[in-house]
Amino acid sequence: MAGPAGLFAVYKPAGVAWCRVREAVETRLLRELNAAPRRAPRQQIRFLPTPAPAPSGGGALELVPTRVPVLADHPLVQGPRFRRLKIGAGHRLDVKASGVFVLGIGHGNKLLTDLYNCHLTKVYTVGGLFGKATDDFSDTGKLIEKTTFDHITREKLERILAVIQGTNHKALLMYSNIDMKTQEAYELAVKGLIRPMDKSPPIITAIRCLQFALPEFQLEIHCLHETQQYLRKVVHEIGLELKSSAVCTQVRRTRDGVFTLDDALPRTQWDLRSIQDAIRNCRLKVETEIEKTLGHRDNSPVHQLDVQTAHGADS
Amino acid sequence: MAGALRAIRTAGPARPFHCRGLGGAAGPPSTRQLREAEEAAPVFQYTGKAARRKDRVFVWGFSYSGALGVPSFVKPDAGWKKPRRIQPTPYRLETEEKISSAACGYGFTLLASNTTDITKVWGTGLNKDSQLGFQRSRRDQTKGYEYVLEPSPIPLPLEKPQQTRVLQVSCGRAHSLILTDSEGVFTMGNNSYGQCGRKVIEDEIYSESYLIHQLKEFDSRVVQVACGQDHSLFRTKKGSVYACGWGADGQTGLGHYNITSVPTKLRGDIAGVNIIQVSSYGDCCLAVSDEGDVFGWGNSEYLQLASVTETTQVNVPRHLPFKIGKIKEAACGGTGNAVLTDRGELFVWGKNLRGCLGTGRMEDQYFPWRVTVPGEVVDVACGVDHMVSLVKSFT
Repeated sequence: MAGPAGLFAVYKPAGVAWCRVREAVETRLLRELNAAPRRAPRQQIRFLPTPAPAPSGGGALELVPTRVPVLADHPLVQGPRFRRLKIGAGHRLDVKASGVFVLGIGHGNKLLTDLYNCHLTKVYTVGGLFGKATDDFSDTGKLIEKTTFDHITREKLERILAVIQGTNHKALLMYSNIDMKTQEAYELAVKGLIRPMDKSPPIITAIRCLQFALPEFQLEIHCLHETQQYLRKVVHEIGLELKSSAVCTQVRRTRDGVFTLDDALPRTQWDLRSIQDAIRNCRLKVETEIEKTLGHRDNSPVHQLDVQTAHGADS
Repeated sequence: MAGALRAIRTAGPARPFHCRGLGGAAGPPSTRQLREAEEAAPVFQYTGKAARRKDRVFVWGFSYSGALGVPSFVKPDAGWKKPRRIQPTPYRLETEEKISSAACGYGFTLLASNTTDITKVWGTGLNKDSQLGFQRSRRDQTKGYEYVLEPSPIPLPLEKPQQTRVLQVSCGRAHSLILTDSEGVFTMGNNSYGQCGRKVIEDEIYSESYLIHQLKEFDSRVVQVACGQDHSLFRTKKGSVYACGWGADGQTGLGHYNITSVPTKLRGDIAGVNIIQVSSYGDCCLAVSDEGDVFGWGNSEYLQLASVTETTQVNVPRHLPFKIGKIKEAACGGTGNAVLTDRGELFVWGKNLRGCLGTGRMEDQYFPWRVTVPGEVVDVACGVDHMVSLVKSFT
């Protein structure tokens, strides 16, 4: 019996490193898989010497065929069935951030590379605070400067956000490496489907203000190829642009490609049953997305993995 | 930020926490000490609640003609710097006054301000036909400059210089028009086709000329001026359009193909129609009426007016029947086009002559591309190889 295989998403809490989350999931799964009832040990017929029944033998030993279990199948001899599970992680989150964290088990790790090559956008909810500037752009850093912020209005903030979105839109077209003079480039640009399909600097595709209550504010950012520290730097630069200063209080990923907050499992549900259900629910979404983006390039490997993942998840 | 920086000191401990002297515990500061230090830190104020958004001017394109108004591009101020032939991205131009209207001609720029001070219009760039008036050379007081590298004031012969305001400026290939609110239109520059509205003088020398002509005889006050390559259009308050200048492509719209040296009223389909906007660039002209109709006349070699006629020159204004709703504004372009959205974003496309699009690349642009300007673009003026934009800063 193979372990579960496929892709699922987990909710990483803040204050924990991503590798600890991956190890915690692995430990929990191993514990449950090893606690499952094992196959009954094989039986063999062995001729064991037993004392002959009284009164005739008296002390002579007789070989009696008995059915005994094979010792090699004993749990203490074999040890736990699963010692390690191959769990791979998708786009990482740093210690202070929280949110949707995609993990893959077994054959699903191959789909992780395909998802990475799809270059889908991620959505973050970023909370900020005006009036302070720190060295690492978050509210737990060393204070550099304090400024006033009562001149900031929601309208000024939205103006800055519109400019950020516009300049990043230009970067989107520039790094997508498509020849600008072709008709297909024009049609894709009109529909808004141009995306950089290999490495590029962080690009923000959409940014808007969810809440604004001085001194706090909350933004929703859709981005590509970013790091969480880059998002904190963006908050700091928004503060500078508004002639004040800002620090980032919260970075929370609400969506990673096709996995949303609804698909992410909280810590109470990191067990085998829920993970298998999650893998089954997300399988269709992941396949359609990969098919759509990479399908026109190379059909066969994706289809093969498809079949293997189906087998793995059903067992 | 300079000059607006003030530290507002709040009451707190006299010494910062890390200067503990010899008495005091060692080790990293505790949470309470950190909090107290944070509360004791001074608060800086960079701007107040009543801070207004500033108005700025950004230029980009070909700089050797002096049209960008930055002398260090043409003559660098340090020996090791190289002259900059093309400014590919928007560059801020420092001006003394707030500029309310800007216009780009062929290698020169006019900037006008709405003020009642004596200096209202500045010009920079080519001055071979005195399109920027007479710019007295500092080396030789009798001669004038052929190229002006910095925005220099243009002296206008106003009757009431401290009351008249300049409403709008417009530039053609080698002539300029300046519209004032009470003293009519001032024209200067090349007049070989009568585009300045005065009689054509044979073999006139236009360079280093003091002549600035004033036009006042219209049926009502002129509210808008537009220049084509070698012709001028005037729109009056009553809604009629006057034209003068080169007419071989019919761009004067007067029914003939000769030059006109006196502004004459246009007839054709726009007779009796209240026109609310005119526009022209090369040799084609467009006018919009208050009911949302578009009229066009002039050159149609590239099928600009092919919706009504197949002739390549249309010398009488014709109504262009477009069924797209009421038209509010029309513009004529050269080979580069610029579009301003209502959110203050500037999109350009077309032929990138010597970097005039401002995208940062030298290639032609086949679909609208956003120009990154650090501010909200309020107005843009397009020339052949450079552009000028009036921008409001964000905060």
